[in-house]
Amino acid sequence: MTEAAKPLSSINTRVDSEVQGGVTEAEGPQMMSWDSHTRRWVVVYIPLLIFLFVLLFPFYWMGVTTFKPDSELLDFKNNNPFWVANPTLANINKLIFETDYTHWLVTTMFVAVGSTFLSILASVLAAYAIQRLRFKGSDYVGLAIYAAYLVPPSILFIPLAQVVFEMGLYDTSFALILTYPTFLVPFCTWLLIGYFKSIPYELEECALIDGASRLQILRRITLPLAVPGLISAGIFAFTLSWNEFIYALAFISSTENKTVPVAILTELVSGDVYHWGALMAGALLGSLPVAIFYMFFVEYYVSSLTGAVKE
Amino acid sequence: MDRFTRRDAFKMGAGAALGTAALAGEASAQAGIPTSPATPPNLPLEPGATIRVIRPTKFVDADETVWNENQAKFIRATGVQVRTDYVGWEDIRAQVAVAARTGAGPDVVAGWAADPHLYYDKILDMTDLATYLGQKYGGWGPLPERFGKRFGTNNWISIPMGCGGGALVYRKSLLNQVGYAAPPNELDRFLDMARKLQRINKPIGFALGNAVGDGNGTANWLLWAHGGYQVDEKGAVTINRKETIEALKYGAELYKTFIPGTLSWLDPSNNKAYISEEISLTGNGVSVYFVLKNDPRTAAIAQDTQHARMPGAQGTRYPETANVLNAMVFRHTRFPNAAKAFIQFMMEADQYDPWLTKCLGYWAHPLLAFDKSAAWSDDPKVLPYRDAQKMPYWIGYKGPISAASGAVDAEYVMVQMFASVCSGQATPQDAAREAERRVTRIYRRAAG
Repeated sequence: MTEAAKPLSSINTRVDSEVQGGVTEAEGPQMMSWDSHTRRWVVVYIPLLIFLFVLLFPFYWMGVTTFKPDSELLDFKNNNPFWVANPTLANINKLIFETDYTHWLVTTMFVAVGSTFLSILASVLAAYAIQRLRFKGSDYVGLAIYAAYLVPPSILFIPLAQVVFEMGLYDTSFALILTYPTFLVPFCTWLLIGYFKSIPYELEECALIDGASRLQILRRITLPLAVPGLISAGIFAFTLSWNEFIYALAFISSTENKTVPVAILTELVSGDVYHWGALMAGALLGSLPVAIFYMFFVEYYVSSLTGAVKE
Repeated sequence: MDRFTRRDAFKMGAGAALGTAALAGEASAQAGIPTSPATPPNLPLEPGATIRVIRPTKFVDADETVWNENQAKFIRATGVQVRTDYVGWEDIRAQVAVAARTGAGPDVVAGWAADPHLYYDKILDMTDLATYLGQKYGGWGPLPERFGKRFGTNNWISIPMGCGGGALVYRKSLLNQVGYAAPPNELDRFLDMARKLQRINKPIGFALGNAVGDGNGTANWLLWAHGGYQVDEKGAVTINRKETIEALKYGAELYKTFIPGTLSWLDPSNNKAYISEEISLTGNGVSVYFVLKNDPRTAAIAQDTQHARMPGAQGTRYPETANVLNAMVFRHTRFPNAAKAFIQFMMEADQYDPWLTKCLGYWAHPLLAFDKSAAWSDDPKVLPYRDAQKMPYWIGYKGPISAASGAVDAEYVMVQMFASVCSGQATPQDAAREAERRVTRIYRRAAG
């Protein structure tokens, strides 16, 4: 068919698409002139699928293992390793009713919430001081705080243990609530310094002109604008506290005071016999609070990563 | 210090009298366990004593329940309050390190074999208690004695409570199928048996990954079976010798008969492979058999399962060691007598024998009189685990038990030496040289 013989409507569509940047109606509005379906699959969808697979497979595996009876778990020759033929709740039953799992969950939640609250409080004050008060050497203080984050807990836990014992906190949840900020505060402070930096200073100057004090500015101007940053720091702090292992192992010895990551290993590994079903049930249930936390605050979390107030 | 009153003195005397009678348990010693006359150490219990104990988490439920029952008996008999916390096997060392470093925390640690040797200056001398127990219960086995005494001295620094031995676990019917009644002791015949099992699609498998128990167990077995050792009596590195090269060559040949994947096997891997009938033979503690026996669905496999000593023995020198559960009392305890009395009580036959028996011999006894325990006659299949305390080898053989010998084990130097040759990444000579370099560095670092 020649150009002249083509229906007018098809020519109009092509002309329109060229005007709009080479996007046809069928291709969707985001597709550029240099784009194609093949290219999209290669550079977007396939990498995205691989990424999703890598991220979600462990959760899938945890879920599948949780509901598998031992006979299926141990015999991959006669059973599909990726599916459950005869699902069972025995592992969850064992976890919840034969161990102190619910108690561990409550303890872990208490520790994570407590240490997150303390850390965010300290970090807000530190980050604001470093970023806004601009005292002499504030940059170096910021760097020094971040450097503290780089000291691995495996080096710190023995000297910290001394402090914990001296304070009479050994084997209590407060041993963890007060030591977790050693790695949470540097991280959150660093994150909040970056966030505060993205809030226009002019807003604070206006408040200063109106006679607001520094604390009023922090409370009424900066913090309301920094809510996504606070939530982002809170999520990080909560997740790190929830999953922390070595301090929880070293500072807590009573079974009932243990946190989930330590306790499930103690109770569900018997020598070289791993109760995989119950272990995976513990890991799956243990990851739910964090997942729910993310689910509620994901929008704030994303917005905090893309900056605060657009100038 | 608090004021000490006559009332306290009376309580203490009564407690001591009650304690001594109850602890020694002379009149009611467990039937079948022979005892000899022995004088228990004088341990007057401190008034109001409370002690905290940590120990590795249970291997089977009975391990914890019988321990707790015995503990409750001790509390009833003495009035001393005791609390035991159970810690993951891999994690107990971190808690012991914290307790030793800070001088606070648990009074008693029933931990791993080498731990008392790392903290010998922070724990109480146990010679009185060890001497009494040895006299009463037929003496200590050579392996617990080695781990109980400070290296090169006659001073006991800990009380070994059990020896978790390793042995061959195998399917009798499959071995019979390839013409063997039982695994042969001769290494060349053992290799021949492994090849034949591979041909009938029922290969053998030993862990060669970084597995605390099984990986180190495989490497040490192969090394010792060929007369190799990592250091001499004084701690000089001796790994790069012809015996090691021979062991590596044999290991590489044997590896060809393994089920695929053993280079990444961790401690539970061989259990799983055996239970799911993928392999016909492996090396392990009694745990595989215990699991099989207690699950009706796998009872048939348990029925067909047998145990045997590791091959390559020179006479009765089996190339094996055992994982010793070693109890120590920290000097920071406020109640040293109560802590020692607790260990004594747990080791007396009335308490110890039920624990040994109900655990199916997982923690083989360190005191030789318990050879007569019903644990070893109730189910003859577990008999190969009985003599774990008589093993002549130990981690770091032939050198002193030290932080360095523990570090070689913890860094899997021997396992990785064998794994590198089996996987074809290194020649036996290169692997031995690399191991020599690593062992030398670790021993130098520990000495410095």
